[in-house]
Amino acid sequence: MDLLMLIRGRKTVHKSKPIVSVSMPRNIQAILEGLRAAIQSIRAHGMRSMLTTLGIIIGVAAVIAVVAIMQGLSQSITQQLDDLGSDMITISAYISPEQALLGGRGDNKISYDDFLVLKSRVSGLEDMTARFIPQSFGSASFGRQTTQTLIIGSDSSYQNVVRIYPDIGRFLSESDDLRRRRVAFLGPSLLKKLNMPQNSVGEFISLSGEWFRVIGIAESLGSLFGIDQDNYIITPFSTIRSLAGDQATRNIDILFRPATDRSLSEIKAQITQILRKRHGLSQGELDDFEFTSAEKTKEQFNSITQSITLVAGGVVGISLLVGGIGVMNIMLVSVTERTREIGIVKALGATPNFIMIQFLIEALVLSLFGGVAGIFIGYGVAAFIALLLPNLSEVLVPIWAIFLALGFTTVIGVVFGLVPAMKASRLNPIDALRYE
Amino acid sequence: MENTIIRMSNISKSYEMGGETFFALRNVSLSIRQNDYVAITGPSGSGKSTLMNILGCLDAPSSGHYELAGRSVNQLSEVELAGLRNQSVGFIFQSFNLLPRATALENVMQPLVFRFISLKERKRRATEALDRVGLGDKLGHLPNQLSGGQRQRVATARALVTEPEILLGDEPTGNLDSQTTCEIMGLFDQIHAEGQTVVLITHEAEITHHCHRTIRIKDGLIDADTRTQDCA
Repeated sequence: MDLLMLIRGRKTVHKSKPIVSVSMPRNIQAILEGLRAAIQSIRAHGMRSMLTTLGIIIGVAAVIAVVAIMQGLSQSITQQLDDLGSDMITISAYISPEQALLGGRGDNKISYDDFLVLKSRVSGLEDMTARFIPQSFGSASFGRQTTQTLIIGSDSSYQNVVRIYPDIGRFLSESDDLRRRRVAFLGPSLLKKLNMPQNSVGEFISLSGEWFRVIGIAESLGSLFGIDQDNYIITPFSTIRSLAGDQATRNIDILFRPATDRSLSEIKAQITQILRKRHGLSQGELDDFEFTSAEKTKEQFNSITQSITLVAGGVVGISLLVGGIGVMNIMLVSVTERTREIGIVKALGATPNFIMIQFLIEALVLSLFGGVAGIFIGYGVAAFIALLLPNLSEVLVPIWAIFLALGFTTVIGVVFGLVPAMKASRLNPIDALRYE
Repeated sequence: MENTIIRMSNISKSYEMGGETFFALRNVSLSIRQNDYVAITGPSGSGKSTLMNILGCLDAPSSGHYELAGRSVNQLSEVELAGLRNQSVGFIFQSFNLLPRATALENVMQPLVFRFISLKERKRRATEALDRVGLGDKLGHLPNQLSGGQRQRVATARALVTEPEILLGDEPTGNLDSQTTCEIMGLFDQIHAEGQTVVLITHEAEITHHCHRTIRIKDGLIDADTRTQDCA
């Protein structure tokens, strides 16, 4: 508004001298001139401008790096869970919190017979298997080496459902289960842990004093969240159950994978109906079993990484605030230092608004430049960290993080630039000219 | 009939100092015609700086009426005063007051920035003004690469580039040696001869000899107003 008044005022004064001017609106021209003046001033104080933006650069870079790494991690977790087989569903006994408090393990809720019935009657399955994890087994020995491991009793279908394939040798066969053979299929990390030769097929290992012949070694799955996924031994279901003694009544898990073209909810409904009937549950009673899938796990992990991203980003964001205060500080110094210059341009006809626009744009340019530089540096840092972390294949800078960083630095530029800009624009030209 | 550029009637400027009112100017009436060449002199504290600030629209009078180039100045807003300074007044300061990080050309272009004319036109006019003061070969020099006399020439070019109604010099030769003073005064004579209205504030008698009219200020009042030469 002030600028418009200025123009009106000028027109009345200036009767005889026509002004050569372009037809752009005055306000836009004032901003363009302010921009030109601001860039000139930034370039004139190169070193100081650089140091001013450093705070913003570091702040934005930190936020972007944190977000990029967390997003990359989240992406790689999702991918790993996908590799695990997101379609695999586990049916396990449901133990209510009340039962758990009473120390109940809910024994024998899901039995081997349940499994046999389900396998023969449920349609639309790719495959189904039973899994029994005995408590009394857990240590494996080879020669003098002993290690703790996860011992799983299952059958030949296990490799179809869980998708574990042999690297050397073979997986369990149906006859292994029927004849209760004492054979073992090993996860690859056991070779190292037990100091076994590379091709250990045919060797014997001891599981809690019982001898098992090694028939195959699995392909490596790597680790997930630092947990070794290759430390397990799979033995025939019937063998391990017969050796488990009184533990044989422990719950088993039933694992299945639906056929690709079948609806999961329909399969779940069939299973629920069969199991409820077999367990004699009346209408009001809750299911004594539950379904879990990797999909659910994936969602949980995603929500966890999302919260971590937000919290970590927020904490690092505080450094942006500090950077903003740095900008204000330097701008205030700059106003004091340039008091005389401000006096000169005021004497030459600069309006208060013009001075304010120039200083505001200067603060804005500094912080926006810091924001853009910070985004690139942050991405670089994240990419470098990704090189050091084996699990992190790539870093992702989501578009919202870029807009957030730029938006935030703009706000910082305006908010923290406003005080110095107002101070500069309000200087009295006579006093400013006298300032030494 | 010659135009009157400056018409001051009963101008007073007062400051409150410790509960007492101090008058820097008392009821000063003054008019300056176009193409006049005026020296305003007086001892320190006489009020001549205050008079210059009011003449140059850097300050507003407490009372009285001031008309510059046909436009009433008192009661103007800060923005309007800025416009008037840009339009009608060309300032030359004792300490040059050039922008230290801008070249001679950029310094001269500076007042045109507030007129929003195109960069090309600004450059053309500024080059012309520098040519006029004899610095056409120093366009790219920074102020600290120029001598005192050259700096004052740049300042003069900057004052002239807007084609102001009056050229207002505040002790323009105060920081210069006698040789350079002579040169600069020669420049002012030339500018005046080209039709410019020039008002200089000074306490050097030598300078008043160049001018056609000398106004002496004492204790905020006009002590003497003598014309030594008729307007051209």
